[in-house]
Amino acid sequence: MRHILMPIFRGLKTGTRVRERMTRGAAIFAAVLFAAGPAVAVADETCMSPYMAKITSQEDFVYVWTLGTKGVGDESDKLVTIDARPGSKTYGKVVNTLSVGGRNEAHHAGFTDDRRYLWASGLDTSKIFVFDVATDPARPRLHKTIADFVAKTGGVVGPHSLYALPGRMLMTGLSNDKDHGGRTALVEYGNQGAYIATHWMPTAADPRGAAIEKVADGYGYDARVLPRRNVMLTSSFTGWSNYMMDFGKMLQDPEAMKRFGQTVVVWDLHARKPLKVLDVPGSPLEIRFAWGARHNYAFTSSALTSKLWLIHEDSPNVWKAQAVADIADPSKVPLPVDISLSADDKSLWVDTFMDGMARLFDVSDPFHPKQVYEKKIGAQLNMVSQSWDGARVYFTSSLLANWDKKGQDDEQFLKAYAWDGKELTEKFAVDFYAEKLGRPHIMHFGAYSLYGKTGIAAGK
Amino acid sequence: MPPAPGSYALPPIQPAADGAVIDADGTPRRLFDYLGDRDILLSFVYTRCTDTEGCPLATGVLEMVREGLAKDPELAAMVRLVTLSFDPERDSPGAMRRYALHAGGIDPGTRWNERPWVFLTTASRARLQPILDGYGQSVVRELDAAGRPTGDFTHVLKVFLIDRRKRVRNIYSTSFLHPAIALNDLKTLALEEVDPRALGRVRHPPRGLPPVPLPADDPPTIPKLRLGRKLFLDRRLSRNGTLSCAMCHVPEQGFAVNETRTAVGFEGRTLRRNAPTLLNVAYAAPFFHDGREPALEMQPFDVFLNPDEMAAPSLGALVETVRSLPDYAPLFEAAFRAQPGVEAIGRSIAAYLRTLLSANSPFDRWRFGKDGAALGAAAQRGFALFTGRGRCASCHRIGDDAALFTDHQFHDTGVAWFAAETRRTETGPVTVQLAPGVTAPLSRAAVDSVGGPAANDLGRYEATGDPADRFRIKTPTLRNVALTAPYMHDGSLSTLREVVEFYDRGARPHEGLDPILKPLDLREGEVDDLVTFLESLTGDNIDELVRDARSEAVGNP
Repeated sequence: MRHILMPIFRGLKTGTRVRERMTRGAAIFAAVLFAAGPAVAVADETCMSPYMAKITSQEDFVYVWTLGTKGVGDESDKLVTIDARPGSKTYGKVVNTLSVGGRNEAHHAGFTDDRRYLWASGLDTSKIFVFDVATDPARPRLHKTIADFVAKTGGVVGPHSLYALPGRMLMTGLSNDKDHGGRTALVEYGNQGAYIATHWMPTAADPRGAAIEKVADGYGYDARVLPRRNVMLTSSFTGWSNYMMDFGKMLQDPEAMKRFGQTVVVWDLHARKPLKVLDVPGSPLEIRFAWGARHNYAFTSSALTSKLWLIHEDSPNVWKAQAVADIADPSKVPLPVDISLSADDKSLWVDTFMDGMARLFDVSDPFHPKQVYEKKIGAQLNMVSQSWDGARVYFTSSLLANWDKKGQDDEQFLKAYAWDGKELTEKFAVDFYAEKLGRPHIMHFGAYSLYGKTGIAAGK
Repeated sequence: MPPAPGSYALPPIQPAADGAVIDADGTPRRLFDYLGDRDILLSFVYTRCTDTEGCPLATGVLEMVREGLAKDPELAAMVRLVTLSFDPERDSPGAMRRYALHAGGIDPGTRWNERPWVFLTTASRARLQPILDGYGQSVVRELDAAGRPTGDFTHVLKVFLIDRRKRVRNIYSTSFLHPAIALNDLKTLALEEVDPRALGRVRHPPRGLPPVPLPADDPPTIPKLRLGRKLFLDRRLSRNGTLSCAMCHVPEQGFAVNETRTAVGFEGRTLRRNAPTLLNVAYAAPFFHDGREPALEMQPFDVFLNPDEMAAPSLGALVETVRSLPDYAPLFEAAFRAQPGVEAIGRSIAAYLRTLLSANSPFDRWRFGKDGAALGAAAQRGFALFTGRGRCASCHRIGDDAALFTDHQFHDTGVAWFAAETRRTETGPVTVQLAPGVTAPLSRAAVDSVGGPAANDLGRYEATGDPADRFRIKTPTLRNVALTAPYMHDGSLSTLREVVEFYDRGARPHEGLDPILKPLDLREGEVDDLVTFLESLTGDNIDELVRDARSEAVGNP
């Protein structure tokens, strides 16, 4: 049985359910959620836009946006589809690969709000590949390539987060075409692929009306929204020169190390106006808003200083940033890279790249996160994605082409685990080098039932 | 005193209007024949006007502007004055010629389009009226008691400032038609006109620089440098559309890269050497830190074709790329009367690079301008050390009439040698900045686990194969050095102070070390003085060179 919960999200003020469309199974599941009150969690799997259709039960596929690697297969970036259906003859196997030709520094991807298209970007060439995942969820096809992103946006380089807003895609840039530094912008495109707008990040020279706590670097990384509070948060990483650079060389380059983000920006979501530039040093990366209706906070982790940060609404419309926990031993620079918040806001997975560890924090008291579990997943570790119910957790290994480990430690894998609340148990693993695929980066889930299909009807 | 030129903006007010006119020689032309190549002051007059706050004032002010321009030939070459009659019935071409001779002693013998002040009329009121309407210049015929035209006109005096893009940028009336204001506005527009100024720099380099070495058969022209600038900024010329010359020679970063020790190459490849500044590159032959390239025209191709840099698949493919971009054909035609080709690409980029001249620094004004107040006491003490006990000037040379701060030679300063010798033996932790004020000692094993092997740099030897050239690196200019951190051929030193301290310590002795590199035993304060001197070498036109570079849009796929 597949459970699908289409978005049940609240209007900016009214709390009205805007639309819902459910299968039988989802209706049961939703009823349970509704019983908990109007605080309907628009849950994660693991960190989707609240505007998007969700898979609330077993996912059928894991789409892996995979970086082409010299000497591996066709050396091109590709979208890899892995069968995640227990009991399927191809469970845990690669069932499709779709090369886009060339290397673009494949990195993040995100679905449109209707989840029919997966937009995947390249941080080097700034190309965006739009995959149709609805027509045949087992075999995505390349629907459209946007190759003029930099020209259209007025010089934004490195589209990173691709995040569904109603009818449009919000993208964060990482860099620019003038100096390949960190100064960048938010960009909006319509779901059909037409450019809409560029919103440059606030800087000290051009704060765009924002109050500045300490510095305003104008850098970008992730963007997440909390529509019921009309709030958007953006975080800050570094520019092309750094994210494309050999990691070991960069660590030894004091000039380069000065160029990392130190800010989280609070925006008026509806107006796309920056309100406040919070002081969050050490390069805050992924942002995860809590789901609870009264949980007006988000987590982020600072990659270099290895801290969990809570960005919270301290008093009405006043947002603050507060470091609430260390991740592992910050002095060893474990490099937390991805986080994933559970649907009930109680636990947070944190991946650290350098030691290849996954750590689970109890964040039921968001001001006092406590690590409750850890497991070494591999020699290096980057992304984590969990199912809606948290029972399945997937990990991939690759961070960036020139940041990944060299030699023996350059393991490139997707690993799927079951999580029973106490222990991660490996279910399957795909060796992306042995399969001649490349380096796996972000994972997103697919399901036939999102599109009123079944695998059986489709002959899969 | 009007505000300083360039310190304020003149936003476009309206498009200029065209119309059929007749010049003082009686030749029919269009008003736009006189617009577009220069900035224009346009006045409307009738020659019989006697109102002292009307036409005679306008003409008188233009005369004063012309006198002001006579003192500034560079500006004068960019400006044209245009006086157009609104009395076609009486102001015949002959009347305008007489008015011209009377007004400004203008020689009507010069070619029509080279005259600094042109006097025009129209064939009829019907031809005139659209022009007046286009500018919003109202003119009413005065009538006598019987309703007959008196021959005089009631009009509001207006003079129009029009830029080369045929846009009205200011409108002056009696109350503020002042020659000083008009001249400053013309200078403000001229600052926007980067091309003639760039050409002017090459022909008359700023104080402190010698004449620019120019190829005899390839004089610089505006179309060439304009084309070169566009190529310089075009990311489409790299294999995957990500890199241009300007991405590693960033105008705002001293035409170098301040943000990393060495620039980052194609697909993030590691480059061994610090991107040298292109400021004053006209004098920097032979090119690259190892001097492998003698010609500025050829130098860009090394970068275009280098698989670690712009990674063009081949020379022919590069030319094909340029030919496939429709915006280039007219520019090559204008510059070389040819289709895009290898030679034209190299020549145009060289033409642009030769305009990146920057001097007239405080040091230049003190040393070559004989302005004793231009250089502070500390910098003067630094200069004494630089040319004396510090021995800096033995390689970073200073001439009697000009200074390039280089001997164009190659020296082993120990930097490349030291890196090659010590790299294998480094085991200690690396101190890494994690955030402002937060550092951590990261183990060498951790750093190595995510880093590729570092490559040695044998310097000049790589170009010559001569063992004597091992680890020798070209002496760079020190002009604008305050803008081009980090320093040394590998960017290994972050500040000028670290550089001075390096030379103060002297390099570790080894075979090949330049014998001049002995400890200097600088005293307390002397390091500061040397740094202050180095900081006095920044040219006075950096903002203009950046503005010049950014006058062209970045080329993107």
